[in-house]
Amino acid sequence: MDITFRERNELVGIVLVSHSFELAHGLAALASQVAGAEVRIEPAGGGPDGSLGTTDDTVVAAIARADVGQGVVVLADLGSSVLTVRHLLENGNSNGHIRLVDAPFVEGAIAAAVMSSAGQELDDVARAAEEARDARKL
Amino acid sequence: MPASSDVLVTLPGNVALHARPAATFVKTAMKFRSRLTVGANGKTADAKSILAVLALGAVGGTTLTLQAEGEDAPAALEALAACVTALSE
Repeated sequence: MDITFRERNELVGIVLVSHSFELAHGLAALASQVAGAEVRIEPAGGGPDGSLGTTDDTVVAAIARADVGQGVVVLADLGSSVLTVRHLLENGNSNGHIRLVDAPFVEGAIAAAVMSSAGQELDDVARAAEEARDARKL
Repeated sequence: MPASSDVLVTLPGNVALHARPAATFVKTAMKFRSRLTVGANGKTADAKSILAVLALGAVGGTTLTLQAEGEDAPAALEALAACVTALSE
């Protein structure tokens, strides 16, 4: 196992769930640029055929890609995206190490990604995302 | 525990405290136990909060005021000042 791979395996994963493919992918790119490529930040956005929406399959696949053993923090944009993730987690797809956080989408993703890249644990990464609600922009 | 005295350090002229450089700064701060703040443009931010540091809007050449409070304050200030000086885009 090479060192890069091992370090990557020690970090909490991030999943970004949006109604929009572009929004999820754009935010993943932004968060990766800030936090660095070591953190797995996986977008899950859009419905079938490029429509707006959120599908179970997309979210489950993104969580699987992000989960390297240290837990996953999931952020969702609005309404039914949140409900989709909640429903998935309540139906036995998590033993507590997949955490849906109540956080602003952009700020929460950036805060979580940077905390993860610093090697922080799941609880701390999740808390940083939720505390982003109180961060002032101006 | 008394706060240490302020340390002033200037960002390299071509490096704003945004995106990757801000994350590098915050990650350095997170290695220490002390309470750490960074001031710029009349605002003060928790040096361990990426969102607070980004909100400073510190552009290249800005002088930052670093302050630390805690048992490892001197080492933290030394490391943060060195980090700022070495930042690159």
